[in-house]
Amino acid sequence: MVPVVYHPDYLSYNFGPEHPFSPLRLEMLWTLLEALDCRPHVLCPPVASRADVLRVHTETYVARVEAASQGEPLPDAEAFGLGTPDVPIFLGMDHAARTLVGGTLHAARLLTTGKATTLLQLGGGFHHAHPNRASGFCIYNDLSIAIRVLTEAGLRVAYIDIDVHHGDGVQAIHYHEDTVLTISLHESGQYLFPGTGFIDEIGEGRGQGFSLNVPLQPFTDDASYLETFERVVPHALVMFRPDVLVIQCGADAHFKDPLADLLLTTRAYEQLFRRLKALAAEHTGSRALFTLGGGYDFDATTRIWALLYLILQDLPLPDRLPPDWRVAWEQRLGCPLTPTLHDPSEPLSVSPARRHQIAQQNVQTAQRLMDMISYYWY
Amino acid sequence: MLIRDVMHYPVETVAPQATLAEAYRIMQQKGFRHLPVVEAGRLVGIVTDRDLRLATSALHPHPFPPEARVADVMQRRVITAAPHDPIEEAARLMRRQRIGCLPVLEGEVLIGMVTATDLLEALLRLTGADQPSGRLEVQLAHLPGRLAALATAIAAQQVNVLSILSYAESPQWLRVVLRVDTNRTHPLAEALRREGFDVIWPPRKPWFPSSTIPTT
Repeated sequence: MVPVVYHPDYLSYNFGPEHPFSPLRLEMLWTLLEALDCRPHVLCPPVASRADVLRVHTETYVARVEAASQGEPLPDAEAFGLGTPDVPIFLGMDHAARTLVGGTLHAARLLTTGKATTLLQLGGGFHHAHPNRASGFCIYNDLSIAIRVLTEAGLRVAYIDIDVHHGDGVQAIHYHEDTVLTISLHESGQYLFPGTGFIDEIGEGRGQGFSLNVPLQPFTDDASYLETFERVVPHALVMFRPDVLVIQCGADAHFKDPLADLLLTTRAYEQLFRRLKALAAEHTGSRALFTLGGGYDFDATTRIWALLYLILQDLPLPDRLPPDWRVAWEQRLGCPLTPTLHDPSEPLSVSPARRHQIAQQNVQTAQRLMDMISYYWY
Repeated sequence: MLIRDVMHYPVETVAPQATLAEAYRIMQQKGFRHLPVVEAGRLVGIVTDRDLRLATSALHPHPFPPEARVADVMQRRVITAAPHDPIEEAARLMRRQRIGCLPVLEGEVLIGMVTATDLLEALLRLTGADQPSGRLEVQLAHLPGRLAALATAIAAQQVNVLSILSYAESPQWLRVVLRVDTNRTHPLAEALRREGFDVIWPPRKPWFPSSTIPTT
């Protein structure tokens, strides 16, 4: 059984009813796992300390978050990305963010002591948080804080980010390090937030060659995504020889996601999760830390993360979802939900000619990236 | 944005008595293509890698030897810029004169250099792509007040604009590309469409709105 790290206080990370990063997604997932009668064995993590947060973030920034968290007026909030449409201020935000950091950190510590191999943190994945700035719904960078703990224990970390947005915060924090390989697959920054993650961002100094970016075309579909993944990720792991994988499993590359433009279905996610699990078995003796991430269509996100959970636990995939669970949430959300675990049909797609063009462009991106980066590897 | 904001300094220079071999070595070591020539604190010329290559080429009727002086091959008529000129002035000069760099003078003193690469860097900054941001592309009727209406509609969504680029696509239509400080460009685009704006990017999704923010 893969241990699951979770705390009910994760739900306190709440930017308000109008904000897409809603704790309802976690609540839906949790109740779905209960309804499927496969509720996980849960490890309850301690809240991360201020000192833990300072492993990655600056004192000035943390002091701003703490002040905002207590409702103190902050004239320079926006310079730190706080009080913006993406990261509005809410009371207790410092504690809420540290609670989620605590989960990822707890999982990392269990990995360093060898008490667990594969772990699933049912939350976290705040890959946009920068040392001195909140951004893109992220306050504290739980991933990088956990990665620091792993590298301090002498482990080489390969970070894989399948969220549809570029993992800019994690990349920036480890940009000069040769013990952390960051790989991000995302919709191209030419079109999507945060506007970075191009193939020439390969790291600097000792870190040169240890930062990989795969910017994908808008409307990339299952086949092209999986092909591009295969052209990059396995080779990078062979080269890097990691001791542990940290994997950010954002669910927002799904075609229903309201914020982005890729066209993945749940079938691609099933394959992707199976592949990531196999890659961990092959390269790190299954030492891997999976976290959640973005994903703003409630219906798709819940089903994708349920898939992640079921696959990690080697449980059979049910065809249909429990009707009681579905009806209860349909009433609560006021919208229909998919009755099956997988998407029932193919998404509306672009024309076959355009599809072909997109796939070709992605192949070319992967080729150019590998040409450029292999110079630094061999 | 002014030239002093994008120029680089301190500047590597060479004396007119220096040999071509010395100038060549400086360019090779530092990775430059342009060397200003300075004598007694005054800019007296400029020498480029192209000047050196042409002057010493075997194809030249009387090729210069490596010991020849920089003063013999340098360009004496130097086109310069002032630090407080806007960068578009640098771009205009470099394009019209077909040159790759401009020494920046404050009075008689050489204080910096602007190259084509610096201007590309400035272009990136102008597009706002150096900060975490989303991209929005809107087509506006090319009439007074339309841009103001767009800015007002964006402000009504509490979104901050990091940069605006615009160009007239035709006499009737103005294409505007904005970088905005939000991840949520799709909902922003929908709000603008409801106000009647023709949003080109991000595109409308046929299944929008999906199950996202609950209504209750």
